[in-house]
Amino acid sequence: MAVVRKNFTAMTSAEKTAFANALRQFKTTSANGRNYNWYIDQHITFFARTTDNISHAHQSPSFFPWHREYLRLLELDLQTVSGNPGIFIPYWDWTVSTLPFTSDFLGSVTNGSVSSGNFSPAWGWSLYRSSIATSFLQRRVGQNATRPTASQVSTVQSRTVYDQSPWNSTVSNSYRNRNEIELHNRVHNYVGGHMGTREAPNDPCFWLHHCNIDRLWWLWQTVRGLDTYQPRTGTTSGVVDNNETMRPFGAGRSPLAVHDISALNYSYA
Amino acid sequence: MTDMKRRDVLRYSAAGAVTAATAVVGIQAVAGPGSAVGGEKAAAADPRDFEETYKGKKIKGKHNAGGKDELHINNKKLALTVISTLFIPEDGSEPYVANAYISAVNHYDPVEIDNDKNKEGLKKLAKKVVDMLGDLELSDEAAKAHTH
Repeated sequence: MAVVRKNFTAMTSAEKTAFANALRQFKTTSANGRNYNWYIDQHITFFARTTDNISHAHQSPSFFPWHREYLRLLELDLQTVSGNPGIFIPYWDWTVSTLPFTSDFLGSVTNGSVSSGNFSPAWGWSLYRSSIATSFLQRRVGQNATRPTASQVSTVQSRTVYDQSPWNSTVSNSYRNRNEIELHNRVHNYVGGHMGTREAPNDPCFWLHHCNIDRLWWLWQTVRGLDTYQPRTGTTSGVVDNNETMRPFGAGRSPLAVHDISALNYSYA
Repeated sequence: MTDMKRRDVLRYSAAGAVTAATAVVGIQAVAGPGSAVGGEKAAAADPRDFEETYKGKKIKGKHNAGGKDELHINNKKLALTVISTLFIPEDGSEPYVANAYISAVNHYDPVEIDNDKNKEGLKKLAKKVVDMLGDLELSDEAAKAHTH
């Protein structure tokens, strides 16, 4: 079923509860051969340069399409595990001051810890592969970085080159790298705690953050062209070309396969 | 030898994989008058090494010639990965590329490694990680290596 991904500020309380409960359920119940911790494993594995000498998920052109596929799979799995085909991943527009860290949604923070209520251990949220020795989800909101402003987002969005050689974290004139560093990294650091770590999907706000990143890429695509991924079909070594499969996703799950979200059963409101 | 390694660093930097970088930093540091480069065990302690207390936690940093730099916080190891990355200064000055440490904990927040203009990179990283941990400690998961 096609879903409309909304700003979390536009969600009804029933939608917020359904989303949180589906995540919790997916921690302990598998769907489509995966469970929640599978996603954390993939994030850690594919953050690194894998044995094919490709960096699939970060610091490379496939940053955007890899996470698009990653979110699409999670959305599908949440719909399956909850039996609710209307479940969608909401987005968090971090240029506005309303935060999702509330007791009725992603959990409130006390002295850096989510220690009671939603996403606390007592509620049913366990951490997985935490590099910080704790059983409580950690957030250090605003301690290490500020939120991007609307004008900073606009500056990044106005870049015209999708990406270019050497296709990594050093490229200056690259929409992908500027978005990844100036917006994406910065918000991970703004939330801090587990969101700043390799195992960041332990924090459910990971999905809302990346949903907004995906929305920004989609907005960029609607201006610059939907099929504008670089590098195009070819033999560029060390990176994912437009028609090359992104690991760990199934055969054919290439940047080209995810370039048009209308073919992926979701849209943005 | 050193020149050759320097070229290697440039090459690897351009490709985004800079595992050789820390080795060169270490060699430069011990290559002062009278010290033997590449000695098996004679290398003096690097002057940038440190072991001190910061906000109640013991931070210990070691720069290794021919190997990866090491960082321990309250005796828990934090595995380091060196990446080459763009830095975009918030003051609006020109972006630049530099080698930097990331780890499991500061995965999206690279800290520039030691070089001529930034001697305290490893210690800055140590303090940043302590600030992030607050009252908590690193887990064993933080010691697992990661390549980029």
